[in-house]
Amino acid sequence: MGPVELLHMSVFSQSFSPCGRFLAAGNNYGEIALFSLSAALSPDASEGSQKPILNFTAHDGPVFSLLSTDTHLLSAGNGEISAWSWAELIKKVSQLFSKCMTSLEIPEINAMIINPKDNSLIVGGGDNNIHIMDMETGIFKSVLKGHTDYIHCLCFKEREEEILSGGEDGAVRIWGHTEIPLSRFQTCSGMVGQECARPQFGKWISCLATDSDWMLCGGGPSLSLWHLRSMSPTSVFPLPGCQREAVFHQDLIMSVGEGPYVSHCLHGGTVKAQIPCTPSSLNTLALNLKNTEHRVMTVGGSSHQIDVFTNFSYRAFSLSF
Amino acid sequence: MSKCTWESESNHGRIHQSLEWLPQQLFHEVIRKRLLIDGDGAGDDRRINVLMKSFTKWCHSNFSPEEGFSQYQRMLTTLAQCEFSMGKTLLVYDMNLKEMENYEAIYADIERSITSAHEKIAECKKEIQRAKRIRKNRQEYDALARVIKQHPDRHETLKQLEALDKELQQLSHIKENVEDKLELRKKQFHVLLTTIQELQQTLENDEKMESDDTQESSMENGD
Repeated sequence: MGPVELLHMSVFSQSFSPCGRFLAAGNNYGEIALFSLSAALSPDASEGSQKPILNFTAHDGPVFSLLSTDTHLLSAGNGEISAWSWAELIKKVSQLFSKCMTSLEIPEINAMIINPKDNSLIVGGGDNNIHIMDMETGIFKSVLKGHTDYIHCLCFKEREEEILSGGEDGAVRIWGHTEIPLSRFQTCSGMVGQECARPQFGKWISCLATDSDWMLCGGGPSLSLWHLRSMSPTSVFPLPGCQREAVFHQDLIMSVGEGPYVSHCLHGGTVKAQIPCTPSSLNTLALNLKNTEHRVMTVGGSSHQIDVFTNFSYRAFSLSF
Repeated sequence: MSKCTWESESNHGRIHQSLEWLPQQLFHEVIRKRLLIDGDGAGDDRRINVLMKSFTKWCHSNFSPEEGFSQYQRMLTTLAQCEFSMGKTLLVYDMNLKEMENYEAIYADIERSITSAHEKIAECKKEIQRAKRIRKNRQEYDALARVIKQHPDRHETLKQLEALDKELQQLSHIKENVEDKLELRKKQFHVLLTTIQELQQTLENDEKMESDDTQESSMENGD
């Protein structure tokens, strides 16, 4: 990989392995790199341990979304979803487990989440619809239509088994289940309100996160915290750029987006801290909570380097492609 | 065989004299031990040797009583010096033992404080988690409270509703009254009009009857 390619690389997605010791990252060239966290975090780590242990080309186009199940790594790019076995990947064999070509032509898949209760994969992409696929059989069970423009992000509410989706059309839609699984899912859609709107950036929603009763959404409009039961925005965060990913963690809200920093915010609407990082703008943030020894946060964006934070308040080191 | 790293001329000479009949290894071992104990040759070992030599000399030689007595005094002094040195060494030994105990005690103490510090750290970590949860709950509460505050007060709205209700009642009351009056007037006008019509009818009837009467009488007159 030449220096020019490294310069133009963007990391779009990340996912931790089920054991929590490995990180998989996908970039805009269609490659997935596997990093060993235990090697990079050990006391005798060296330059070499910050390089990937395995780097393979997964898709023709960029890898927009990565998702880990208990045994497999699912990657999605332009219209196809591939599944890789984690056991094989850890042994440095990049053999394709199964490739599912979707029967519908989805131009790009931006977000994938899993519904653990009925073991289904929920996929949202460029054709304005949300597709639900059964993981056991690989058949697409149902389609949720309603968005008028492509879908950026998906989120799942465990308790009520509801799907939240945000898209380019500026709407956040909540899809709830009825008793009969294949019936039309009815929605209640909330348009992002006036306080958060920033017309200079547009109305697209690119990040969604939920914490049972609360929802974060941001993108073109400012990042805002909503109370779902009353459907009202409770706080608007004064972050200058467009946020691309946000998560709830203990009592903080962490979000990344335009700007070379990770913002820590409190629920009340104050920005507590902005931690600087190497990429000039960030696309993805991932927290490794599965493994207590390697409890880190990793962020990636428009750079070939992925920053690793062991203490969430400062950058420890960077992994690079 | 081990090498002696110290070289002490006087001691070496002395030991060499008394031990040259020993085999090589034992010789070196003994030298090592001797040098370790009293390497410089200026101390107790020499004193004891001197004492032994002078004692044997004193026993075997014929001294005059004064010389013998002075020799005897000198031996007693040397003996006293040896005893003094021995006493000192014993005290030092005791002191070392006590120091060892002291250090053991301090060591145990430090171990205990390490474990208690570990426990405290664990406690504090739990406290932090609790505090973070509490802070999150407080923040959520504040956020919701802010939203709620934006809406008007419930009592005020109720009062406004009551006032509006009362107004509505009054207005409907007035409307009823007006309608009743309208009905009444309608009825009255109706009565008036029917009476006028009847009167008109009666008058017409009367006229008709009058004209009939005159016709009849003129017909009768014409007969």
